Amino acid sequence: MTIVSAAPRMEAEVLVIGSGAGGATTAAVLAEAGLDVLVVEEGEWIAQGSIVPFSLEQMDRQYRAGGVTVALGLPSIAYTEGRCAGGGTEINSGLYRRPPADVIDRWTRDFQIADLDYDEVLTIAGEVEEALDVGTVPGPPTAPSDVLRRGAERLGWQHGEIPRWMKYTNGGSGVRQSMTRTYLPRAMTAGARIATGCRIDSLDMAGGSARSAATTLPDGRRGTIRFRDVFVCGGAIQSPALLQRSRIDGPIGRSLAVHPTVKLAARFADEVNVPDDVAVHQVKEFAPELSFGGSASQPGLVALALSDQWATFSKAITDWRRISLYYAAITSEGRGRVRTIRGVRDPIVTYGLTRRDRALLGSGLARLGLLMLEAGADEVYPSFRGAPIVRTPADLATMNRSFSAGKASVMTVHLCSTIPMGQDMTRCGADSFGRVHGTDNVWVNDASLLPTAPGVNPQGTVMAFAIRNARRFAAKEHRRG
Amino acid sequence: MAERFAAPRTTVVTGASGWLGRGLVDRLLRDPARAHLKLLAHSTAEAQALASLGDVEIVIGDIGRPDTARRLLYDVGPDCDVVHTAGIIHPHSTREFFEINANGTRHLVEAATEHGIRRLVHVSSNSPFGTNPHSKDTFRANEPYNPYYGYGLSKMQAELAVFEAVERGLDATIVRPPWFYGPFQPPRQTVFFRMIRAGRFPVVGDGEQRRSMVYIDNLVDGVIAAELTPAARGKAYWIADRRPYTVNEIVATVGRALADEGLEVKTNRVRVPALAARTAEFGDRIVQRLGRYQQQLHVLGEMNHTIACDISAAAADLGYEPKVDLYDGMRASIRWCKDEGIEL
Repeated sequence: MTIVSAAPRMEAEVLVIGSGAGGATTAAVLAEAGLDVLVVEEGEWIAQGSIVPFSLEQMDRQYRAGGVTVALGLPSIAYTEGRCAGGGTEINSGLYRRPPADVIDRWTRDFQIADLDYDEVLTIAGEVEEALDVGTVPGPPTAPSDVLRRGAERLGWQHGEIPRWMKYTNGGSGVRQSMTRTYLPRAMTAGARIATGCRIDSLDMAGGSARSAATTLPDGRRGTIRFRDVFVCGGAIQSPALLQRSRIDGPIGRSLAVHPTVKLAARFADEVNVPDDVAVHQVKEFAPELSFGGSASQPGLVALALSDQWATFSKAITDWRRISLYYAAITSEGRGRVRTIRGVRDPIVTYGLTRRDRALLGSGLARLGLLMLEAGADEVYPSFRGAPIVRTPADLATMNRSFSAGKASVMTVHLCSTIPMGQDMTRCGADSFGRVHGTDNVWVNDASLLPTAPGVNPQGTVMAFAIRNARRFAAKEHRRG
Repeated sequence: MAERFAAPRTTVVTGASGWLGRGLVDRLLRDPARAHLKLLAHSTAEAQALASLGDVEIVIGDIGRPDTARRLLYDVGPDCDVVHTAGIIHPHSTREFFEINANGTRHLVEAATEHGIRRLVHVSSNSPFGTNPHSKDTFRANEPYNPYYGYGLSKMQAELAVFEAVERGLDATIVRPPWFYGPFQPPRQTVFFRMIRAGRFPVVGDGEQRRSMVYIDNLVDGVIAAELTPAARGKAYWIADRRPYTVNEIVATVGRALADEGLEVKTNRVRVPALAARTAEFGDRIVQRLGRYQQQLHVLGEMNHTIACDISAAAADLGYEPKVDLYDGMRASIRWCKDEGIEL
């Protein structure tokens, strides 16, 4: 393994900025094609399993800003980003969904993506599934999963187990097959270097070409990295922010798309809480507009979920072992923006929900509440200010009457679409293979490229697109070389 | 298909003079297996009109009063089904919603439990569930309550009273029809035809919001299927036409049906911005909060929304199969209006 310490002066044929689902796959493909690749990562390298999943320590060490980042709006939407080697793949729930055919089809048409072949995407998805050991949980579902299964079954709603990138031991516990265990080691085996703790401040542009990157090292010193080509893979917030700081114009950062979610806590007679894992079942009856699943339910997070109506909900916290958290996620017709302000380190993120989005969040929370009651919940605590405790179907009517999205704790983990790919120059920041329009050698290769939020867990789609684009780049390099 | 009960000796119908009640009585009178029909009428005039239909027993009373249901059921015996269609939808004051829809149903299920009848069918509505969150959404068989103002709340309370009675031993089932159309229609539906003829029916927004509707004969089929299916106990079913229609489709189809019945139809359309409908909805809420009720505000406010439901549970459990679609059903209702001498 070649984890190098960041130096003031570094050089590479190809610089890859960021090491998550986009950056790690890009680095592996390019290094395996014989290119000299340097990956820089702002966070540290933490081996999978050395920190308890979904714990406060993890939030502190592997999340950007300790997990406290917010898209401003009414309501503001809390979001999280990974900031560590492997990025979001190290900390997410590991649920894998193939790129949906209808979504790819819509993207190709609406954003004029050239040479996008769904069969090719599926072939790559197959390779990813193998590389990440995507599979289902051996044995019976965990208690929080079974709640979703049971409730959906009783209501006659479609549901299913979502496979994960997880390697299971005989004991049944699993190790997440994140980027630090898969594509990053592959990249390094093929000769790529990775420098952690190194932040890229901006790209130095001359005309349409980037010649070098200005860096800040862990000790605060400034430095430079020279390269021939650069891949920006910092995720849907950091990638557009870097391009903006580098004075690259175009539709960049104007079309942030997310899956807004609302939450509830449900208390059962049995102990349903599994602190270090999440439910693998999802309810897809109302998909893609609306889907339900389980959220991380550490005691601290249970307390956070109850805090919206603490005066009446707080008594439940001592009973956290019987409580599990669930979410309702929607596809949003709203849009957000990422803006950088000169001299300010972090970008300002804003997001606006539409009238339809707000109605859908309310309907989603109520349907999820009904599912909990059907699954046998004694009490349901919806996460919004002024929420009633729900014990009966009639209480759901009371809940609906008092709900408004403005009072809810809306959050999201799926951030995308800030640099949409395609030939439609009015709204695409990058071309059909991720090269930033108006530049010769700046590529984006992460969730920013997805033209809209895909309506499913996006990591599978991010990886498939990143591999496709990196292969196209490598093939052209081969012809050039 | 699921097992079926035979027709009972006595069939009791509340709200027998109402839109659905009249359609149902009409059908039951034509069924020789229905030995005895006992109808609840609200006034002497209604009773006389019902008596002229055939061999029926009539009780006059107000379902909102506690003694009416007892009087209605006191001698029916166990081989009796009760179909509860009585309800009020466009009252003078919101108080009537609760007296008639909620308390009336409570009184009836209490009396029915005491008397030990065979099966009660409660006719509910889409209104306890509000409106769909977006135009492509469809209500499934089971949905959380989200009552649409006073009417919806009163119909929700009625449903809850029925479910509670089932817990206490009553055999009851619920059918939920959306907006209906067809013969025996009340005057408000005549206004609907006239507005479409004159090209003045307000299409809100892009008109792509969807509405489930049910032709009265389809609904009668569904009510009888629910009554006679033992497995329907304690369950609730959407009874509607095969699929929801967009508002644009409704306006176009009714226009075509009117024209094909020889009536002149203006082709201009009134488009109402979604904002106007939201304003009407807001006005409706304020007026209802003051205890009053204004039909135009209520209907215009509601036209902005999708109210679409899925009948597959009724199809699977009850063998319900809607036979009439929008065009044929609308032509039949237009012909009925003409036969009744109603000017459209």
